[in-house]
Amino acid sequence: MFGLSRWLTPRRDRTAEPARPAGEAISRALSPLPAYCDVMAAHLKDVADYTEEAAMATLERMQQVDALAGAMADDVDGLARAVDMTQRQLSEMGESNSRLVLGLIGYFAQRDRRVGVLVEEMRDLNRHVAAIEAVSRATNVLALNAKIEASRAGEAGRGFSVVADEVRQLAEQSSRAAHDIGSSIKELTDRLHLAIADDSAIDTGAAAVPELEGASGEQSAITRRLLGVIDTQHKLTEMFTGVLTDTVDAAGRVAQTSSALTDSTTGAVGEIQFQDISRQMLEHVGVAVEEVQRQVADVVGYVEGERAEQDLLTDLSVDDLRERHVMARQRVNHAAATGQAAVAVALPAIELF
Amino acid sequence: MLVDDSATMLMSIKSVLTKAGYGVETASHGKEALGKVTGGLRPDLIISDVNMPFMDGITFAREVRKAAGMRFTPILMLTTESEAAKRAEAKAAGATGWLVKPVAPEQLLGVVKQVVPGA
Repeated sequence: MFGLSRWLTPRRDRTAEPARPAGEAISRALSPLPAYCDVMAAHLKDVADYTEEAAMATLERMQQVDALAGAMADDVDGLARAVDMTQRQLSEMGESNSRLVLGLIGYFAQRDRRVGVLVEEMRDLNRHVAAIEAVSRATNVLALNAKIEASRAGEAGRGFSVVADEVRQLAEQSSRAAHDIGSSIKELTDRLHLAIADDSAIDTGAAAVPELEGASGEQSAITRRLLGVIDTQHKLTEMFTGVLTDTVDAAGRVAQTSSALTDSTTGAVGEIQFQDISRQMLEHVGVAVEEVQRQVADVVGYVEGERAEQDLLTDLSVDDLRERHVMARQRVNHAAATGQAAVAVALPAIELF
Repeated sequence: MLVDDSATMLMSIKSVLTKAGYGVETASHGKEALGKVTGGLRPDLIISDVNMPFMDGITFAREVRKAAGMRFTPILMLTTESEAAKRAEAKAAGATGWLVKPVAPEQLLGVVKQVVPGA
């Protein structure tokens, strides 16, 4: 394509007529045109080459952009998955911590109740102590009476014997009271020990919290502080969850943008077909220039007497140009340029046979 | 297999098909492509230009149909040519379909999936 030089070689015809004076001016005027056409053809080829070079470079760039968009989409997808996992782990940890703290609150609440009961029962020990004190006072009185009776020991024996019996009964009562006190103390000690050692309420104590929360007046200081810890943790969890949710949303938007970018580059890659179409159009123009060049060379040869009249290209026609068009666009353009009616093309752009 | 004398077309269409997950073999004209087929290449689909040097796309399609195992291989002509006569000639030569350049990537991929459903 664009190889026009073969038309520039003058053909000497021995039978040609001698040069005519009137034709010399025409010859001089037309002589530069073949070289002129050569340059135009060279420019057309250069335009085709240049657009091809630019189109290829553009394609490479778009492929790079496409690859980067793909890599970015992969990175964002990985980030979104990592954030989502972190969000779930954070939520699980928060729930676990809340359960633990609620358990502690329940544990302490239950312990407080048990200790309170023990304190009340410890107070009940005073009743036993009072009994011992009463017995002790009576024993003292009896002892005094025994002493008095003993001093009258004239007929010693009988009265003292009665006193001795009373003393013995009181001693028995004292013994029972002491035993009761000992038993009560042992029982309270065991229960207190159990209340301290038993931490099972940490696991079940959460169920007791709602009623504690309802009766805030019964909340101990530590319960209030632990509830404060839960509240703080809830706020922290909400804050982190908000940040993570925003991050996931942002990642989603970046992924959408990346996808749109990829679609755009794919579309742009398709648009690059314009270069092939333009190249073919330029080639057709080049062929037309070639024919003009040939005609000019022949006319110059004729006026210079180097070519016979019958050698002139007499069948050059603009209609021939139309016949060589392959694109509907070329035919429409041809019709517009020549003032002819454009022939409508009804064929579909895509057809499966 | 993609056949076109335009380097831009080869790169552009190959890029679209590769991105869609297809493996693409290329040739710059019908003669080169036919050499690959006679050499044993059995593509699932041929997309060929019509106007090419050395051997045009319609002749190439006609010759491909003579090769063993290529009787039913889809051949799509992708061309700037809009003449009905050329289109009919391609159909007679064994082409499966006709696409006029420029073709949008999504349209091209739609046709490819239509003629090669399993690929």
